[in-house]
Amino acid sequence: MAVLGRCRTLSGQRASRSCGILCVLLVVQWLGPSLYANDGRYRVLMLHAFNFNFPATTRIADAARQRLMEISPREIEFDADFLDLARVADPEHERRTAEFLRQKHARTPPDVVMTLGSAALPFILKYRDVIAPNIPVVFTSISAHNYAAQRLPPDVTGIISEFNLDKTLQLAERLQPDARQLFIIAGSGPTDRLWYAKARSVVESRAPKFEATFLFGLPYEKLVAELSRVSPDAIVILLTVFADSQGKSFIPADVAKSLSALSPAPLYAPYETYLGQGSVGGFVETFESVGMAAADLMMEVLAGNDAETLPPRTNRAQAYRVDVRAMNRWNLPEGRLPAGTTVLFKRPSIWEQHYHLVLAAFFAFALQTLFAAALLVQWQRKLRAERLLKESEERITFAAASANIGLWQFDSRSNELWATEHCRALFGLDEKLPLTHETVLSMVHPEDRRLAIAALRDAPQGTGGVGSEVRIVLPDGQTRWIRVRAHPHSDDRGSIHLLSGVFIDITEQKMAEAEARLQREEVTHLVRVSTLGELSGAIAHEISQPLTAILANAQAALHLMRQETPDLTEVEQALEEVVHEDNRAGEVIQRLRKLLRRGERRSERIDMNELVRSTLALLNSELISRRITVKTDLKEGLPETLGDPVQLQQVLLNLLMNAMDAMGGTPVSQRFIVIATRVDRARGIEVVVQDRGVGIRLAERARLFEPFYTTKSHGLGLGLSICSTIVQAHGGKLSLSNNEEGGGTAASLSLPAQKILLAAE
Amino acid sequence: MFTVFLVDDEPAVVKAMSRLLRARGYDVRAYTSPQDFLANHDDAVPGCAIFDVSMPGLDGLELQEAMTSAGGARPVIFMTGKGDIPTSVRAMRAGAIDFLTKPASDRDIFGALARAEQQDHAARQVRAEKAAIAAKIATLTPREHEVLALVVAGRLNKQIAADLGTVEKTIKVHRSRVMAKLGVRTVADLVRMVGKVSSSP
Repeated sequence: MAVLGRCRTLSGQRASRSCGILCVLLVVQWLGPSLYANDGRYRVLMLHAFNFNFPATTRIADAARQRLMEISPREIEFDADFLDLARVADPEHERRTAEFLRQKHARTPPDVVMTLGSAALPFILKYRDVIAPNIPVVFTSISAHNYAAQRLPPDVTGIISEFNLDKTLQLAERLQPDARQLFIIAGSGPTDRLWYAKARSVVESRAPKFEATFLFGLPYEKLVAELSRVSPDAIVILLTVFADSQGKSFIPADVAKSLSALSPAPLYAPYETYLGQGSVGGFVETFESVGMAAADLMMEVLAGNDAETLPPRTNRAQAYRVDVRAMNRWNLPEGRLPAGTTVLFKRPSIWEQHYHLVLAAFFAFALQTLFAAALLVQWQRKLRAERLLKESEERITFAAASANIGLWQFDSRSNELWATEHCRALFGLDEKLPLTHETVLSMVHPEDRRLAIAALRDAPQGTGGVGSEVRIVLPDGQTRWIRVRAHPHSDDRGSIHLLSGVFIDITEQKMAEAEARLQREEVTHLVRVSTLGELSGAIAHEISQPLTAILANAQAALHLMRQETPDLTEVEQALEEVVHEDNRAGEVIQRLRKLLRRGERRSERIDMNELVRSTLALLNSELISRRITVKTDLKEGLPETLGDPVQLQQVLLNLLMNAMDAMGGTPVSQRFIVIATRVDRARGIEVVVQDRGVGIRLAERARLFEPFYTTKSHGLGLGLSICSTIVQAHGGKLSLSNNEEGGGTAASLSLPAQKILLAAE
Repeated sequence: MFTVFLVDDEPAVVKAMSRLLRARGYDVRAYTSPQDFLANHDDAVPGCAIFDVSMPGLDGLELQEAMTSAGGARPVIFMTGKGDIPTSVRAMRAGAIDFLTKPASDRDIFGALARAEQQDHAARQVRAEKAAIAAKIATLTPREHEVLALVVAGRLNKQIAADLGTVEKTIKVHRSRVMAKLGVRTVADLVRMVGKVSSSP
């Protein structure tokens, strides 16, 4: 509204300023000639046939004056005299007037005389020599008919007016195609009489069409009476009424106004001045155009052209002009108007009268419309954005639910938890139960609750997403694995109260992982068992040794006891050895049972040297039977490592078996395996098993750890693949390479030391 | 006195076995290394050997070969922790008394030892007889040696004389000297005696 108010003020200022300028112009215009009177000025005398109150001539005079002021290179002094000949039809009056004019203009005769109204021309011609001899005359308001009737001197020129009855009648015919009755009105004055013959000839040219009534030369009262009786579907054409048959003079425009008001039928006229007085209109020339044409002609005369070389001209600016109010009054359809018709009084008055108000109102309205439109657009955009947002949200929710993901947001200040419906499904919650922070936490498995609380508590400290995996216990006792990811949002001040995140159901994943782990353990176990199967002979031997000793000792004891004087010391020793050897056998069996057992991976402290020795003990017989000598180089004081002894022994067993297998073709004297332990560069533990076997061919290198790939005629091809998996699970590394010297392979098993592992935890 | 030469890389087994064998009155010489055994083996001592099949360096079968090639002729009993058939077949072909799977019962062990003792005894008798015959043959002159060979080959005196380019009478003299030196009366006894030693290399 502030904008609006300012606008209104602005236009008000502009309006008052333009009013002021107009006033100054008018004052200058009117004061101009007297203030700047000098000899360089043109003098124009406008000679009106009628009095000052005659509209037609006044309009012509005004237009001519305006035009002259526009186009004249010099100042112009205008003068005007009103002969009033129509009202005072008296030769004496003419003479007196002529005398008056002579005296008036004797000192400063005009440069040109312009006549207005047809009666002014005969007057000036008659008294020109009296008033201003040889003064050029430019006439107006002379019809072609009138012009032809007068014999004008060659230095008299002017604008011949065309008051076109024919075309005016054509307009009437167009607007009232069904009209048959035609009334034509003219008065009794000299000018009025000029119309009689013309009117008759125009009507006669359409002879059979109309029943024409010529209301010519009637007393005014009679005329009024006649006219008021005409049928509404007739055509009335008003020509001029300057005087009635009783000598009463009239101003034709006033007559037009009166007659239009009382005429039951549409009233047409070929005069512009009647427009706006109630007549429908006709084919007319505007008096302004007459004035302007006369001004142009006068300018040529004033510029020094001989009037004799300037013949009279016809005013070309003629057109159909109608008063829309009159048309409406007589129900004449606008659609029938000829093309190019000028329609006047088409309700422009509101605009004209309340220009500023209308403008302001319009502006305000436009502004309001604009606001409304903008709001509408905004609203629609908002709606669209809301719709898009809703769709997007639906999409995300759907996608999240499809992926078994629940979305949530938690405000730590209000302790409020927002969550998608899918969260409810994930937690198996009844619709009646509120989905709150407490509800969710209470469902977390007791063992994981601390982890869940810590994850939520620590999330704000994290920069990115935080993830932890917790178990939840559903109301029906089922356990479900949920991965919680949280993302902190910081507010303007950088503090974090808002956490958003997802709940992902990873139960299936966990189950699959568990199953895979189980399968891996199964395979690992199977491979271990199959390795031991290969060693069955050697292992049997390993057990049979203590058994042999036990049996022999026991039998020896029996034999000794049967003797007459048993050597009891010897018997005791034998029995002691029985116990000792039984223990030994037990150890072997224990070792085997460990290797054959299936079970979850354990984590124990491991002395790698001890593990190497124990493995070698297991392989002792096999090594002997394969004629292989093992050299050990075990570093004393090796740090301990953490791991599953069974699995790591499996790895050692496998590496040693591979080394043994590799040396099948090696001469007995060179069948060596060197097994060494040391602290590696990363302060972890390294076990190296070197053989003097065939080594690794280049083509095999890339596939060594591939499952089911084997270079042996026996074996599953799973050994190294599983060893590698085991070592990786221990955070270690297993690599194979060919020895630089003496051929054969070196297998390196690196494991982190316990300290490092503990530090890492 | 019958001696058992026991070789096993496992000290506990050696110790226990020794104790058992001694309790039954055997003389036991125990070794935990095959090389040790070979270095100290006295073939003249009557007895048998018990070898463990699976030993580092030399296995039982190789040890037997090594012993035999060194001139030892002693019955061998093998003991093994894993009684695989190919190894046992190889051992039996090599003249093993028995192939016992550990842990072996004392009955099996002593049965095998009894057979071994018998065989060793018999072998030693044969070897002694052969040695006696060989000693007698060694007393023959080269000419008598030639005549003996031809007699054993079944040639007549006349034919031998022709072969050796002499007369029958001379051959008869040689023949009677050979018979006398070897202590035999008939040609048949002579042939049997020579036959006993000719089988040996």
